[in-house]
Amino acid sequence: MTRQVKIQTVDGAEIVIVGNGIAGLTAAVEARKLAPDKRIVMITDQNHPTINTPALKQFAIGKLTREQLLAYPAGTERTQRIHVINARVEEIQAQKKYVCLTGGRGFGYESLLIATGSVATGLPQNLPGRDFDGVLTLHRLNDYLDMRRRLSEIEDAVVVGGGSHAIETVVSLLYWGIRVHWLIRSDTFIPRMLDRPASDMVLERIRRAGAKVYTQTEVIGVVGRVGSVNGVVTNQHQFLPCQLVLVCTGTTPVTALAAHCDLPMKSKHGILVDDQLRTSVRDIYSAGDVAALKDPQTGGYAPRAQWYAAVLQGRIAAAAMTGSVASEEGFGVPWHATRLGELSMLTVGNPLQLHDTATTLTDNSKGSYRRLSIVDDRLVGYLSLSPLQPDGLAIKRLIDEGHSISHIKKALLKGNFDARKYFSHQRTYAAHYMVHTGTLPAPGALESPIKTQPLVHTLRETGPLGVPEEAVMRSSIKSGVNTHSLYDTSTHDDLIQQKTLLFFELNEPLFFEEGFAPDLARQQQTGMPCVIESTLVALPSNTSRRTSGSLWSYSDKLPAVKAKPGNSQFIIFPRSEKEEREHSQARVHPSSSLWSYTDKHVAVKKGH
Amino acid sequence: MLKSGFKAGATNVVMLHKTVPQVAQELHACIGCNECLLACPAVTDSITIDVLNRETLSGPISVPVARFARSCYQCGACVAPCPVGLHRDAMMMWLKVRMLRSGWGE
Repeated sequence: MTRQVKIQTVDGAEIVIVGNGIAGLTAAVEARKLAPDKRIVMITDQNHPTINTPALKQFAIGKLTREQLLAYPAGTERTQRIHVINARVEEIQAQKKYVCLTGGRGFGYESLLIATGSVATGLPQNLPGRDFDGVLTLHRLNDYLDMRRRLSEIEDAVVVGGGSHAIETVVSLLYWGIRVHWLIRSDTFIPRMLDRPASDMVLERIRRAGAKVYTQTEVIGVVGRVGSVNGVVTNQHQFLPCQLVLVCTGTTPVTALAAHCDLPMKSKHGILVDDQLRTSVRDIYSAGDVAALKDPQTGGYAPRAQWYAAVLQGRIAAAAMTGSVASEEGFGVPWHATRLGELSMLTVGNPLQLHDTATTLTDNSKGSYRRLSIVDDRLVGYLSLSPLQPDGLAIKRLIDEGHSISHIKKALLKGNFDARKYFSHQRTYAAHYMVHTGTLPAPGALESPIKTQPLVHTLRETGPLGVPEEAVMRSSIKSGVNTHSLYDTSTHDDLIQQKTLLFFELNEPLFFEEGFAPDLARQQQTGMPCVIESTLVALPSNTSRRTSGSLWSYSDKLPAVKAKPGNSQFIIFPRSEKEEREHSQARVHPSSSLWSYTDKHVAVKKGH
Repeated sequence: MLKSGFKAGATNVVMLHKTVPQVAQELHACIGCNECLLACPAVTDSITIDVLNRETLSGPISVPVARFARSCYQCGACVAPCPVGLHRDAMMMWLKVRMLRSGWGE
């Protein structure tokens, strides 16, 4: 699958990438786009092409085939002229700019990207019975292939771990109708990301779905019979019989190359990088799970082991390695969205920290939970648990760009914030401003507006690596974005307009560049008020939005969650006859989940 | 206006306005779980998400993807199942705009 190049034929390349995870391949593809003539080599010891690792959970339970796991179309490396070398990099000679492969062969580079990813932490090394057959640490494709083969003969399984990976595994097993015992070391679920009400809500749902949850419980030994798992013993003196133990206890960045570099490379729970992804050694970059980035809010360095973060980092690393100007607007605050059972979880920024400086608003109506952290009218953290996933990237943008949220606070809290409407209105204001004042944005304001200004207001409640200047930064929070002298005296409205002007420029070209959107320049000449409206397209009704036969709806194998068709017990808003008729005409979806949503349900919620 | 669209029996109004950078950002954030395609009532060919994403973003558009884009009627069934809250409907709209521009119009 991956193209093998004989090592003897290549003795060096301009861009060398270690690791073919999504960060590595994205960087390679992007670098090819930016530098069509450079020689790009990817060195990896992985035996398969780049895959969509977040989709492994769907793969494990048979919803996807192996071909559907590919992150890029098959043969992308060949068409993009990316040479793939199947080897392991042992050390870096940064002074002479080459890496050593297994067997002592050297390979030269001009720019080197370390994208070695992470390994699963797994069970403690000295845990009795950890090597029995049936104890699986889930991380790589092989682990999931192994798990998938076993599922048909499993009745009871134990899942170890307290993070989102663990709950995703629990949900997958429930989907297969397997009895699940879930052991969590702390007394809440992901204490780092969720507060207690949110954690209770998630655990309550997962219990109702049929899993047995044991908090403050750890495995102290695995019991086997003739070489394979028979059960686990916990620190609560329980014996839980099972045929499968799945370990989802988090990951550790692979920083071995930082240690095996002849120049000192700073690493601490990941290789420390700046916002160009440069490590502390010249011409060496790092991206993906292994790179520890600075959180603009806390000032601390931590890896962001998420898919989107890896893609973004790959792109920025490619721009840095080829000497191009990165088109991205920076990393901004952390963003994590996933499905936890029938609930969608979204965390943006730091909704849990910042207790003293931030105002916290919570809402737990209608089976969902939201928590907003606000400092001086700006959103700094957002946590949401609800059946429908909100537009998380738009909320990230609200935080990254420091929007005033006074007039959308309620919508954010109630979970009915309409991002498309909000941002298109912002553009409308911008256009109005341009037309009515007759002024175009000052050139200085448009030149990389974000790079010259603090992306996110740094807060006093910082992590351990916080620096003293932050207190000063904090005092200027209100004018954080508005640092140009041109606008110093502007009123609040002007401030909004000024910012929206920037957005407007950033968002060019608009979605409908031809045919749909009004021609801005022409309208300006004729002096007509220029309103760029959202394009509304009327469609036939009865195009209901309901959840599909989603993996994340629980299986109807489980009697606990089986909802009979037409059983109105679980339907909050009873349908009229007409609606019922419409509904019955709609396509029948495989899911009979209790949590299935109908269009009407959403409609009532929205109209509320 | 938007609210009226959600009233039972009324015409369903869908907002299709996302800028190119937003669509590109969402494509990059796609984790490839295929939930949108599983929920799609219009997809007929076996289209994989990697190909769909690449061709939505840039480059030539292949025949199966073009056929899929034509049969997509923007019902929005793909939006609710997305575990990370992305908008496949907006991506499909952008794909259609690209198709029109690259001569797939008829």
